[in-house]
Amino acid sequence: MVAISQTGLPPKTRYAKVRSLHWVLICALVVCAGLSLQIGATDVQFTTILFKAASGQVLSPAEQVVFFDIRLPRLVMGCLVGAALAVSGAAMQGLFRNPLADPGIVGVGAGAGLGAIVAIVLGACLPLWIQEVTGNQLVPVAAFLAGWGSTLLLYRVSTRNGRTSVATMLLAGIALGALAGAISGILVYVADDRQLRDLTFWGLGSLAGASWAKIVAAGPMIFLSIAVASYLGRGLNGLALGEATAEHIGIDVQRLKSIAILTVAGATGAAVAVSGGIGFIGIVVPHLLRLATGPDHRTLLINAALVGAILLILADVIARVVIAPAELPIGIVTAVLGAPVFLWILLKRRGLVEL
Amino acid sequence: MSFHARNIHVSYGHHQALAGVSLHAKAGEVTAIVGPNGSGKSTLLGAMTATLPYEGEVSLNGRSVAGQKPWELAAQRAVLPQASKLAFPFTVIEVVQIGLHAGTAGAQTDVPMHALARVGLSHYAHRNFQDLSGGEAQRVMLARVLAQVWAPVQAGTPRWLLLDEPVSSLDIAHQLQVIDIARDFAARGGGVIAVMHDLNLTALFADKVAILAAGKCLAVGTPTEVLQDDILSRTYGCTLRVCAPPGDERPYILPHAASA
Amino acid sequence: MSGKKDGFAIFAAIWTALLGSFFATAVSTQNASTQAAPHADVLSIGGSVTEIVAALDQQHRLKARDTTSVYPPEVVNLPNVGYMRALSPEGVLSVGPELILAEEGSGPPEAIDVIRAANLPFVEVPDSYTAQGIADKITIIGAALDVPDKARELSTQVLADMEAAQQQSARAPDTKKRVLFILSTQGGKINASGVGTAADAIIQMAGGINVIDSFEGYKQISDEAVGAAAPDVILMMDRGGNHGGTNSDLFAMPALQLTPAAETEAVVRMNGLLLLGFGPRTAEAIVQLNTALYGEGS
Repeated sequence: MVAISQTGLPPKTRYAKVRSLHWVLICALVVCAGLSLQIGATDVQFTTILFKAASGQVLSPAEQVVFFDIRLPRLVMGCLVGAALAVSGAAMQGLFRNPLADPGIVGVGAGAGLGAIVAIVLGACLPLWIQEVTGNQLVPVAAFLAGWGSTLLLYRVSTRNGRTSVATMLLAGIALGALAGAISGILVYVADDRQLRDLTFWGLGSLAGASWAKIVAAGPMIFLSIAVASYLGRGLNGLALGEATAEHIGIDVQRLKSIAILTVAGATGAAVAVSGGIGFIGIVVPHLLRLATGPDHRTLLINAALVGAILLILADVIARVVIAPAELPIGIVTAVLGAPVFLWILLKRRGLVEL
Repeated sequence: MSFHARNIHVSYGHHQALAGVSLHAKAGEVTAIVGPNGSGKSTLLGAMTATLPYEGEVSLNGRSVAGQKPWELAAQRAVLPQASKLAFPFTVIEVVQIGLHAGTAGAQTDVPMHALARVGLSHYAHRNFQDLSGGEAQRVMLARVLAQVWAPVQAGTPRWLLLDEPVSSLDIAHQLQVIDIARDFAARGGGVIAVMHDLNLTALFADKVAILAAGKCLAVGTPTEVLQDDILSRTYGCTLRVCAPPGDERPYILPHAASA
Repeated sequence: MSGKKDGFAIFAAIWTALLGSFFATAVSTQNASTQAAPHADVLSIGGSVTEIVAALDQQHRLKARDTTSVYPPEVVNLPNVGYMRALSPEGVLSVGPELILAEEGSGPPEAIDVIRAANLPFVEVPDSYTAQGIADKITIIGAALDVPDKARELSTQVLADMEAAQQQSARAPDTKKRVLFILSTQGGKINASGVGTAADAIIQMAGGINVIDSFEGYKQISDEAVGAAAPDVILMMDRGGNHGGTNSDLFAMPALQLTPAAETEAVVRMNGLLLLGFGPRTAEAIVQLNTALYGEGS
């Protein structure tokens, strides 16, 4: 054996450094959460409420509604949706080995959009018992089911002999997107004036519809998906070397793909269902983190969840105070904040996305 | 203990890439697979690593590989692919660590740095892998593979290095380095199977050579037995002359232009 | 290295400028907001609802409005809670209303649920495109504002005005003009009104015929369908500025070139809220549209 060099000690890798970033981000999340509870169109303040709660005073009805029925559900939903989108984006980029992949690649967005349109336009034609069961939540329920369903369909189409081809999935996803777009177009033609407006606002995305009912419905799904996804880090790192090599170093690649696709469909489907189309979080957050802290998925996935939550909460604060008492759709805010950052990344790292 | 492939058939559509090839590689030896382009060398390695669907039987250290989990196989053998692409900007040391599995070596050990030192690249540990040259990248990948099966024998069971053209993009000094690493691994009880192009290097380091042509195994044996004028000329379809330098039993091969 | 920094500086500058203009635009829509009268307590959502509140002499009670409430002109200075179909619950609560009057279709439903949960009196005002529909709106709003007598007076007045206007506009079927209501001509595609819309109702009340009767609501129609419908007059909303372009732009569109309306360049543009609002001014709108279609004293 040749002499081993003097550097026998384990080198300091980015991993250890980046892991401690978790705590920094958790602190930042808490600060942003406080900000989100403090600021709003009304003059109800988190600090006042804390003070009152601490000194045993009774909250006024207005304070109760603003705090418990508006700001708190919005904050929780913002966290869930932001984390779900960012983690899904990171997982998809790892799975497709492409820093430009976003959760929409597995057909969730197209499917969910179609589901929402069907529900908005044809909801009144459904049997009465369905309308009674779903109530106001028909659109989110339909969006989730259709998003999840179209992912399963794509997965089915691109899996042969127990092997899923991500390239087939990509192409099938494009076809499915076109089909969903065409059906949506037909429905848009049938839609009346009011339904058209509902469609437009659904497409822009918003946390304004946050409610405990939605959180109870979407929360467990998103939470579970993020928890599962955060264990995919090692597998996704291996996949960066290619599918064959990943298998050779001991990763069950097919199981990894299945879990990644299903968790992404679950998280994104639930997030899109409750908040509409909120763009750019899924692409920009993992990308920024990769630039800042390296591509190790073991840390990237969790950090992406935290940064996604932080960014969406901040975007929501902006959305609701800029033109208060009216409010901007949050999709506009994330696009205005996210699109230039994305362009900047592309300008700076031109070589990064060569395929 | 051996890595044994029996009667392997592989088809790509209607084209039969391997038609009943068998290979028996022993631990403690370097086994080389040579043959012309398209003869099925890499396909045989692909079947032995279960990378492609095949018919036949492959057993590793006496156990059939079919039905073994990826992580069980990863603890027994490491595979160096012909070319490696990396999707994200990992550093060199991170790439070497990716190959580590709980069953082989813990992430906290110093194995990755030793492996990098073994290929002479420890000073590159924190470089971006994507910025390396082709040969450097190939050596980092060799370090990754070495780290995966760092001890050639574990609990009395030999481990295996499967190398697909390990020297193809290296300069002569580093070709010799790789050969040294492979020989050392075999000398310490591990098994090495390498797909090779260069017949002279093969003659230099292989204990056993298998010659493939058109999906069939033409000859197996020691370099001296197998690297013969007639076998090689038949295999490659051109005139080759095998010489033996005085004082060295290892053959070397000279190409002969048709007109000469 | 300095090249990179310069690049970043330029990028940062452009981004800051973009963000600045974005927020400036967003905020400028709010600059008009002024304080409402001291005893104001009503948030009015929906153009016709706000008009009716004003017509009941209760304008002083208006505390805030939505984007569609632009008449009478003074209400534009009130705080704006946004578009009636995309309300923000906290925004609505933040203006501190003691009564919310909302036209049918205000939303989203989740926002309405939260607003109702705040135990504020919330009155939904149904919308329908008939004289009786307007009278019903007035009665409901009058009751909510606790001015039932005034409401009775106003609704009687409105019913009488509507009756008079419709009688004045009535004509023999063969002398009625064929009217095409165009909602928009975006991208050279014509979005026209079918049946069951406010535009359809007002055209008929004003003594015209809506040339499109094959579908409900507002839809994009093909160029040939416009030619086949052969409208005598084009009716559009006057949104100020250059909406829909000039008459020559309008009739340069292939769809309209061959219509009878193009020969006479017959276009009527009316204020959208007046024309389609179905509030206290609808009788006025009928007369105005009738006059525009057939001339004075027809």
